[in-house]
Amino acid sequence: MISPSRQGVDLTLLLVSVALIATGVISIYSATNNAGVSDLATRQLIWAGIGLAAMLVTFLLPFRFLQRICFPSYFVSLILLLSVLLLGKTVSGSTSWFSIGNLRFQPSEFAKVATALALSAYLARTDVTLSNFRHLIVAGAIVLLPVGLIMMQPDFGTAIIYLAMFLPVMYWGGATKFAIIAVLAPGAAAVAGLFGTTTFLIAIVIIGVLLYMTKENRLVAALIFSVTVVVGVSVQFIYAGLKSYQQKRIDTFLDPAADPLGAGYNVLQSKVAIGSGGLFGKGYLEGTQTQLRFIPEQWTDFIFCVPGEEFGFIGAATVLFLFLALVLRGIKLGASVKNPFGSILAISITSILTGHIFINIGMSLGLLPVIGVPLPFLSYGGSALLSNMIMIGLLLNLYAHRKEY
Amino acid sequence: MLDDLTLHSRRRLLSGLVILMFLVFLGRLYQLQLIYQEEYGKKSEENSIRTISKEPVRGYMIDRLGRLVVDNRPSFTVTIMPFEFDHGNLERLARLLSLEPAVLQERIREGEQYSRFAPARVARDIGFRELSAIEENRATLPGVSYQIESKRFYPTRATASHIIGYTKEISKEQIAALGEEYRQGDVFGAAGLEQHYDRILRGKKGAEFSVVNVRGQVIGPFEGGAHDIDPVEGNDLILAMDFGVQALAESLMTNRRGAVVALDVRDGGVIAAVSKPDYDLSLFSGVTLPAVWTDLNRDEARPLFNRTTLTRYPPGSTYKMVLAIAALEGKVVSPSWRVDCTGSYRVGNKVFKDLHVHGSTDMIEAIQRSCNVYFYQLMMKVGLDPWSRYGALLGFGKPTGIDIGEESSGLLPTTEWMNRRYGERGWTRGFLPSLGIGQGELGVTPVQMARYAMVLANKGELYRPHAVSAVQDKITGATVPIPVEKRTVELSAATWRTVREGMRRVVMEPGGTASLARIRGIEVAGKTGTAENPHGKDHSWFVGFAPFDEPRIAIAVMVENVGYGGSFAAPIAGLCMEQFLFGRLIRHDPKPPPKEVETASPEDLASSNQPRPGGTGRDE
Repeated sequence: MISPSRQGVDLTLLLVSVALIATGVISIYSATNNAGVSDLATRQLIWAGIGLAAMLVTFLLPFRFLQRICFPSYFVSLILLLSVLLLGKTVSGSTSWFSIGNLRFQPSEFAKVATALALSAYLARTDVTLSNFRHLIVAGAIVLLPVGLIMMQPDFGTAIIYLAMFLPVMYWGGATKFAIIAVLAPGAAAVAGLFGTTTFLIAIVIIGVLLYMTKENRLVAALIFSVTVVVGVSVQFIYAGLKSYQQKRIDTFLDPAADPLGAGYNVLQSKVAIGSGGLFGKGYLEGTQTQLRFIPEQWTDFIFCVPGEEFGFIGAATVLFLFLALVLRGIKLGASVKNPFGSILAISITSILTGHIFINIGMSLGLLPVIGVPLPFLSYGGSALLSNMIMIGLLLNLYAHRKEY
Repeated sequence: MLDDLTLHSRRRLLSGLVILMFLVFLGRLYQLQLIYQEEYGKKSEENSIRTISKEPVRGYMIDRLGRLVVDNRPSFTVTIMPFEFDHGNLERLARLLSLEPAVLQERIREGEQYSRFAPARVARDIGFRELSAIEENRATLPGVSYQIESKRFYPTRATASHIIGYTKEISKEQIAALGEEYRQGDVFGAAGLEQHYDRILRGKKGAEFSVVNVRGQVIGPFEGGAHDIDPVEGNDLILAMDFGVQALAESLMTNRRGAVVALDVRDGGVIAAVSKPDYDLSLFSGVTLPAVWTDLNRDEARPLFNRTTLTRYPPGSTYKMVLAIAALEGKVVSPSWRVDCTGSYRVGNKVFKDLHVHGSTDMIEAIQRSCNVYFYQLMMKVGLDPWSRYGALLGFGKPTGIDIGEESSGLLPTTEWMNRRYGERGWTRGFLPSLGIGQGELGVTPVQMARYAMVLANKGELYRPHAVSAVQDKITGATVPIPVEKRTVELSAATWRTVREGMRRVVMEPGGTASLARIRGIEVAGKTGTAENPHGKDHSWFVGFAPFDEPRIAIAVMVENVGYGGSFAAPIAGLCMEQFLFGRLIRHDPKPPPKEVETASPEDLASSNQPRPGGTGRDE
C-alpha cells in the first residue's frame, strides 16, 4: 500500500498529538466527574478511536489524490454548511449541528479542513500569484464563503479561525504588505463598527493612512477603502436588525464584563482555578473549582483550567510545550515540503491549530476576550477531535512526501 | 514562487511569533500560578462565587375601573442543596413537610441531576406549620433552606378562570418549544391571559452572588452584594373588563352550562367573558395537587374547557339577521316582502316547523317575532353561497383573534364544504331551510356572536375583541395602550336600519321574543335563539346591544339545555348590560332611572379614579 516514495513517519508530531488527546480525555473525565454528564470522557475516547482510523486513512491517501479532492471536498462542505443552516439543530442559540441518530456532527469543523485544502490548491497553481489583485480576491472568496455561512449560525469563534488561517497563508504565499492590509481592513472596520461610531471613524482614518503609505495603485487603494467603509457601516445596520439575544452575544464578545453572569464570570472563575493550582496543582480530581463546577461546561471551552488547577504550573506548562512542539513542527514541515501545494497546506493546517490554541488559552488565562473556540485535542467534541486528527493525518502525509516535487 | 531562502526567512518569522506567543502564555501562567497563587488559592478556598436566581414579581391585572383583580401573595418554597444534604435526614424532613419520603427523594434526585451545587425546589407553597418546623430544625438539617416566591391571589368575587388563566411550572417540552428565555423551574403562564401575555407579565429574573467555601456552604454575599442584580417586576395588564359585570354574569350562570361574552362596542374591549362551569383559579396558585387536576380533567361538565372560544354551537334564530342582510344586500327581496306563515314549510317531502302561526309577516316583523317560515322561504331564495358570504363578512367561520388563548373557527358551510362533507349528490336544497334559521351544520363560538352583535350595534364597525386594553410599564410608569384593530363591514344604510329596527322590536315592542331583556329607561335591541339540540333540551341564545341609538355594550349569552332564548338567555343579558351602563342594578330603584354612568373608555384608563398597586391615582 505504501508507495515507494514515502519517507517515514513524523514520530514527534504523532506522539505529541497522542499525548494531547490523552490529556484531553483525562481532563474531561475530571471536569465531568461531578456534573451528571459522566460518560463524556468515554465518548471522547470513542471519538479518538474513530479519529485514529480517519488519521490513518488520511495519512495513507496518495498525494496526487489528495490534490484532486481539494475543490470537490470544499464544495461538499459549503453545501453541508448551507444545509445545516436550513435543517440543523439549534444548541444554545447556534444552529451548527446535524444529528444522525445519537451522534451530533458539526459541518463547520470539517469545512475548516476543506477550506485549507482548497485555498492551498488554488495558491499552488503556477499561474496564481498573490501580487495579482484578482487572484487575491479569489483567494479571499474561498475563505469568506464558509465564513459567511458560519457567521449566520452564528458562530463567531469559528469564523475568526478562518481569518487566522488566511493571514499566515498569504504571508507564506508571498503577498505584499498592501495585500495584507487590504485583507485586514474590512474585518477591522467591521469590528470597529460594532464598538461605535467614534471607534469606527478612527479605524477608517488609520486604514486610509496605511493604504496611502503603501503607495499602491490609487484606484485599487480607493476601491479597497470604499469596501472597508461599506462593510463597517453595514455591520452597524446588521447589528441593529439582529434579535436581542444575538446582539447580546456580540456585546458579550466585545465586553465580557457586560455579562457578569455569563462570560465575565467564567473568566474570573477560570483565572481562580488556574491561579489556585500553584506549582504542582491540587492533584487529579482534587481541584475544588473543577469539582464544584464553578465553570459551566468546563469540558468544552474552559478545559485548560483542569490541568491548570489539578496539575499546576508543571502540568499547564507541559501542555503549552506540547502545543508549541506541534506548531513548530508544522511550520518546519511547511518549509521542508518541496511541493508548493503541500507547503502551503502545512502552513494552513498549522495556522488553524495555532488560531485555536491562541484564542482558547488566551481566553482561559484572561488575556483575550471570551470567544467560544475549542482547544484542539483537549476540549470535548467529537467533530472537532475528528477534524483535528484528520489534519494531523494530512501533516503526516505531507511529511512522508516532503521530498517529492 | 517559493524559493528556499525566502521560505527559510518566513519560517523564522512565523516560528518566532509562535514562540513569542507561548512565552507570553508561560509568563501569564507563572504570574497566576506562582506569584498570585496564594491569592487565588484563598479565593478558590473561600471566595468561590455561586449565583442564586431571584424571582421577579409577576405583573398585576387591573380592570377597567381600576380594581385590582389579579394580585400576588408571598409563598414559601423549600429548597435542598443536594451537595450539603444529609440523606439520613430524609425521613425526618419528609415528616416535617408532610411528604412521602419517596417523593422527596425523587425531587432531590432530579435536582442532583441538574447540579449538586444548586438549590433544588422540593416543596412549593408550604403552610406556616411546615415553615416554622423547618425554621426550628434548620441547624440539624444542613442543605435545607427556603425561598420566598410569590403566588397568584384573586381578590375579587368573580372567578373569571378561563379568561385569566393560570400559571404553572414549565415542563421540559415547553422550554424546548418556547425558547431561550425560559429555564427549568420557571413558573409560566399556561392558559388564558397569563399565557398570552406571559412575556409582559413575567418580568426579569435577578441574581444574588454568594460566597461559598470549599465545602460548598454559603459564607455570605459576594463583595457585600455589590454585584447582585435585582429582579425586574413584570408589567401590569390593564383589562378592558368590568369585574362588576363579570361577577354578576357568573352569578347569573350559577349551576348552568354555557357562556356570556360582553364587548365594548366602541373598541372591542371584552367587558366580561364567562364560561360555565368554571373552576377556582386559586387551586392552581402555588402547588396544584394531582388529585385536583384529575378531578377537573375527568369532570364530564368539562370545567377547564373555555366555552366562550372553543365551542361550536348552532346559533339558532340569533343568526337570522345574517340571512336578512344577505337578502337585502343581494336585492333578493325588499323589506316589505311578505310571507304568509302557516306554521310550517314544506320542501319536497320534508316539513319544517314553526313555533306559532304568524300569519302575514314582513322582514321586520319576522325578526321581531322570530318567524321561521319567513326565513325558510327567504333562505331558498337567497341560496347557500350568498348566505355564507355574508356570514363570512360578519366574521363567522374564522377565529376572532381574541387574546385569551385557543379559539375555534366555528363552521360556516358553503357549497364547496357541503360537497366535501356529503359528496356532490349527497345533499339537496332540502338542507337549506335549517341553515336559514341557524341550525344544521352551522357552528359559532359565543365570542363570534358577541362580535356579531357589536357589528350590528355599530352599523358595520368591527373591532378585534381584546381583554387587555393597555400595558402598564413598571420601569417607565407609562401606560402603553394596545392598538385597536378595526375593519368596517360596508352595507347600505337601509339594510342596517331594517335589521336593527327588527332587533329593537324584539325587545321593546309587544310581540317581541325578548321583553325580559328590557332595562328601565334604556332602549335595548337584540335577538333570541333557541337552538335545537339532539342530546337534550334546547340551547338558549340571546345576542343584543344597548342603548339602541348610541350603543356602548354588545352581548352574547348562551345557556345550554334550558329551553327558550327569550326565557333564559335574554334576562341574563339585560341584567349584565344594566350593570355595565349604570354601574349597578337599578331595576328595583323606587325613583326614575338615574343617568347612565360614564363607564371608562380605554383612553381614560391611565387616570382612572381607583387606586391600584404601583399605579397612578387620578389627581382630584
